[in-house]
Amino acid sequence: MNKETILKEIRESLVEMEEEKVVELCEKTLELNIPAYETITEGLIPGMDEVSRLYEEEEYFLPEVLVCSDVMNAGLDIVKPHLDKSSMQEPIKVVMGVVEGDTHDIGKNLVRIMMEASGMEVHDLGRDVPLERFIEKAEEVNADLIGMSTLMTTTMDGMKTVIDRLSERNIRNKYKILVGGGPISQNFADRIGADLYTKDASEAVRRVKEIFGRA
Amino acid sequence: MEIRQDILTPKERLLAFLTGKPLDRILCMPIVTSNAAHLIGKTVKEFQLDGKVMADSYMAAMDRFGYDLNYLFTNCSYIAEAMGQELVYSEDEPANCENPVVQSMEDLSKIKVAEKTDGKFPVFYEALDILNTEVGDKIFNSVCFSGPVSTAATLRGTEDFARDTYANPELCHALLRMATDSCKNFIKEVVAKGAIPIILEPIASGSIFSPKMFAKFAFPYIKELVDYAHELGAAIPLHICGKTHKIVDQMTETGTDIVSLDICDLAVAREKVAGRAVLLGNIAPADELLFGPIERIHEVCKNAMDIMEGYTPGFILASGCEIPTKVPFQHIDAMMDAARSYGAYDYAKAE
Repeated sequence: MNKETILKEIRESLVEMEEEKVVELCEKTLELNIPAYETITEGLIPGMDEVSRLYEEEEYFLPEVLVCSDVMNAGLDIVKPHLDKSSMQEPIKVVMGVVEGDTHDIGKNLVRIMMEASGMEVHDLGRDVPLERFIEKAEEVNADLIGMSTLMTTTMDGMKTVIDRLSERNIRNKYKILVGGGPISQNFADRIGADLYTKDASEAVRRVKEIFGRA
Repeated sequence: MEIRQDILTPKERLLAFLTGKPLDRILCMPIVTSNAAHLIGKTVKEFQLDGKVMADSYMAAMDRFGYDLNYLFTNCSYIAEAMGQELVYSEDEPANCENPVVQSMEDLSKIKVAEKTDGKFPVFYEALDILNTEVGDKIFNSVCFSGPVSTAATLRGTEDFARDTYANPELCHALLRMATDSCKNFIKEVVAKGAIPIILEPIASGSIFSPKMFAKFAFPYIKELVDYAHELGAAIPLHICGKTHKIVDQMTETGTDIVSLDICDLAVAREKVAGRAVLLGNIAPADELLFGPIERIHEVCKNAMDIMEGYTPGFILASGCEIPTKVPFQHIDAMMDAARSYGAYDYAKAE
């Protein structure tokens, strides 16, 4: 089997949720001395991009995305130890979480999964995250983007608080701010001065890549 | 805008609607729930734990808004709670589940089919008894509860439940079976107290599952609940949160009497439901109702009524989902005003 065929099969098997097959194919890439970098960037990531596309087109939903991302991770586990780190482009660094007062995290997790699947470095703070923590972590890891989500109207204002604190400390321009979640709208995002609002996880990944010129 | 005083009581109006008699205005049922506690200076927590606080809250809401249905509802997890799931109660938010009890097939032994007096069910019975005595002649009560999928997903954790639809469907079905039986036991009590049971399925949403998965994991169990309510002689609405444009025909095929919509183009729903059920919806609770302004609320309500004009067996103006605590009460008034103005019918002529 040549490289093109095997990478194509990885992409297709990932989309079809065939974990064993993807693992087997990834092992084969190692035998064939295909660089781990190529397996990731031309096999696994494009496979997950196709999953994102299917999600955005309402062909795939939460279960399919979760299962595909599990498959991708199983493949990554095989090839990652063989990865020559210098070959990878510096990833977009993201700090994200569900704002203080809210514990609904499905939407946020979906965004994390899709961001990681597209090669971003995601620091997930989890749910019910104290507002100050977003800033601390972003400063600590030298993040490019802060992502905040909520499903509840009672906690929406927390997002504005984070943005205001960044401005007060003159570090607002160091970061792009992404907001999302059930009650959030473009209108709200504009009002609080966020850089980006998207309706769903897949669009979030696409737009973040655009902002950082990685599209 | 001319706002006309109501002529019928909410109960008379709903009865007239159900029996095809003339109405004074369109039915309007904003989904006011635990936020009503704030009308009497109580917290959401008190509302969830005390049937008297619950009843008093709804009576205050009826007086304030003059809406057409009391929607008794505390949180999305109380059926799961009655089956053995622990919930976290915070002061002024609906209780929620932080640590799902079912982590494996073996954990099924940690839960049971909920029966009459389990969990917080008695809070609802107490509230219904008070409401029946105090205002039973004026208005109907309903009780909203999470259906089989949402209850099963609460017990298992939504993401794990979603994965299980591929990885462990047996566990999904075992949970769904127990959740369905729990719902039936609760429906029986609710109907015995003269209330309308309303199935809520925030998790069986078209935003989370594909129509194919809905057919496999949601439809059969929801249909069983609908059939059961009908056996008991009760009407039973079905509310699904989030997007529903791809599952609205399956929702209708469950046999539900009222298809209650959140995010769905009403024109699409009208075409797909095609007279097989009453449609209810769908003013966006976290958009227009939250932000207003009042004029905009009037406009979206009028627009919904225009799209649904002449639809049989009928359209009920409502919010798309539960109205969050942050929505100003004036915005709910604005919705009622729209019904009393653009939705007022020439009642004298019909008499």
